[in-house]
Amino acid sequence: MTSNATLGIHRLEVRDFRNLEAQVVELGPRFNVLAGENGQGKTNLLEALYVATTTRSFRTSTLGDCVRHDAASAFARIRVLDDRQPGVARIQSVELDGQGAGRRKVQLDGKRPPTLAEYALATPIVLFEPASLALSQGGAADRRRLLDRVAIHLAARHGGGAELLVDLERYRRAHGHRKKALERAMDARVLDPYERLMAEHGVRIVRARREAAEALAGRVVAGFEAIATAPLRLEIAYAPKAPEDVDAFSALLAERRELDARRGSATRGPHLDDLAFLLGGRPARQVASQGQHRALVLALKGAELAAIAEAREVEPILLLDDVSSELDPRRNAALFAFLHAQVGQVVLTTTRPELIEIAGDRRDFDVVAGLVRPR
Amino acid sequence: MLPRHARIVARLLERLPGVGERTATRYVLHLLAEDPALSQALGDALRELHARVRGCARCGNLAEVVPGLEASPICEICADGRRDASVLCVVARVQDLAAIERSGAMRGRYFVLGRLVSPLEGVGPEDLPLERLRARIAEDGVKEVIIATPPSVDGEATSLFLARELAALGLSISRIASGVPHGSELEYADQVTLGRAIAGRKSLG
Repeated sequence: MTSNATLGIHRLEVRDFRNLEAQVVELGPRFNVLAGENGQGKTNLLEALYVATTTRSFRTSTLGDCVRHDAASAFARIRVLDDRQPGVARIQSVELDGQGAGRRKVQLDGKRPPTLAEYALATPIVLFEPASLALSQGGAADRRRLLDRVAIHLAARHGGGAELLVDLERYRRAHGHRKKALERAMDARVLDPYERLMAEHGVRIVRARREAAEALAGRVVAGFEAIATAPLRLEIAYAPKAPEDVDAFSALLAERRELDARRGSATRGPHLDDLAFLLGGRPARQVASQGQHRALVLALKGAELAAIAEAREVEPILLLDDVSSELDPRRNAALFAFLHAQVGQVVLTTTRPELIEIAGDRRDFDVVAGLVRPR
Repeated sequence: MLPRHARIVARLLERLPGVGERTATRYVLHLLAEDPALSQALGDALRELHARVRGCARCGNLAEVVPGLEASPICEICADGRRDASVLCVVARVQDLAAIERSGAMRGRYFVLGRLVSPLEGVGPEDLPLERLRARIAEDGVKEVIIATPPSVDGEATSLFLARELAALGLSISRIASGVPHGSELEYADQVTLGRAIAGRKSLG
């Protein structure tokens, strides 16, 4: 793990991004602690970093929301130092249009990248925010997204990743068409082609997710056992909701038309996949304590970082939002153990910087009214 | 701020693809600065557009309307006797026909669907000109159908749908390949295209 190259956002230039003033923020290579009261712009800064690396936001699907209300566009540019390409910094920038649907203009080293996937895979980044706690207790959608994030990086190992994004998007569209066709009582002539396409893309999604689940499972179990105190055995199983064969999958969809029409959606398919957690042989959702849920989420995030690090041969950047909500004396020990285990760049926000027990290579910032100042 | 009528013209121009508020204003100012004859000629030509150009009665391509034959205009390609009537290339839009035509690789004739099957947009099989397509195949003695719908979900679904619909006619039915642009190095091809090119490879012997 320590033999991996490191990666760091060295500088962020931001303008009209939510409440952030036009400014340049120089980050340190290891721990960066952003302190400030609520509503000052700490999470906005993390969001700007996330948008600049992935072209997406973790708070909204409408990127126009990120544009300061009196501005025409928002802009975030990062300078990334990447050991895999020594000597040259990588420049990534995203400009968001405030009007309409929020169009985005992205540039990688001053040029438009051939695909958004290529841009979004350049600088691996992992986000840990209060909403991540839903990973163990909430619905399966968050766990599917976790699998997909890891799967995309696993595919990127061989220079892929874009295909999986295409499969996910096409599966979603074919599924939408089939749903509508069932609703309108269209016949097999229309349903057959969409079921075929759902099966072709779906089988590839399941294969990629299975590989991702395998990369995560051992690491999550080890991470959980290191944190959790009770001697309960954790098991993780990927539970695909579709056969892994195109003909079998498409035949299954054809058989279930009547049922699916009544339910208003396909009752089989990777859009229903889950990653199941068993604690002592029983579903963690039912038996885990709050402490065990938190331990499981920490273990999942740790595994996500490690799996991506191994696939991409570089330590991903970790963004950690609002850790002070975690600062319960019994629990912060686990969180800091998790943080200390990170060897890459970390950017975290808190309302109480005095409680962040990290010594050494650390840079502190104060965030006040949209301005970020080194302390 | 433009005067009222100039604004009306700009608003209309804005409805054209690729024309935003700024470009529309530029066009209006240009027309006002030029000889009024230009605006007059443009207006006259536009007024006649729909009466003079219609869908080809046989293939759906654009056709010049000949006086006396307003009901069934025939396009240049359908009128060209040197074309191989036994090969029919099915496309989604007139733009796609034009693109294939520019390649010079298509010796046969075309059939423009006008739309793709798309339940999400409320387009079902009954909205496709299937009867006209079947009639065309029968009348012209078509032996080979090449389906050239786009490689999107809607294009693929429509292609699978058509292949099934036409299967009983005993024709040779093929789907255009998707692959690497000519003249480019493999290393520059995007991964999705290259993946499809590998999947759709051709045997050399």
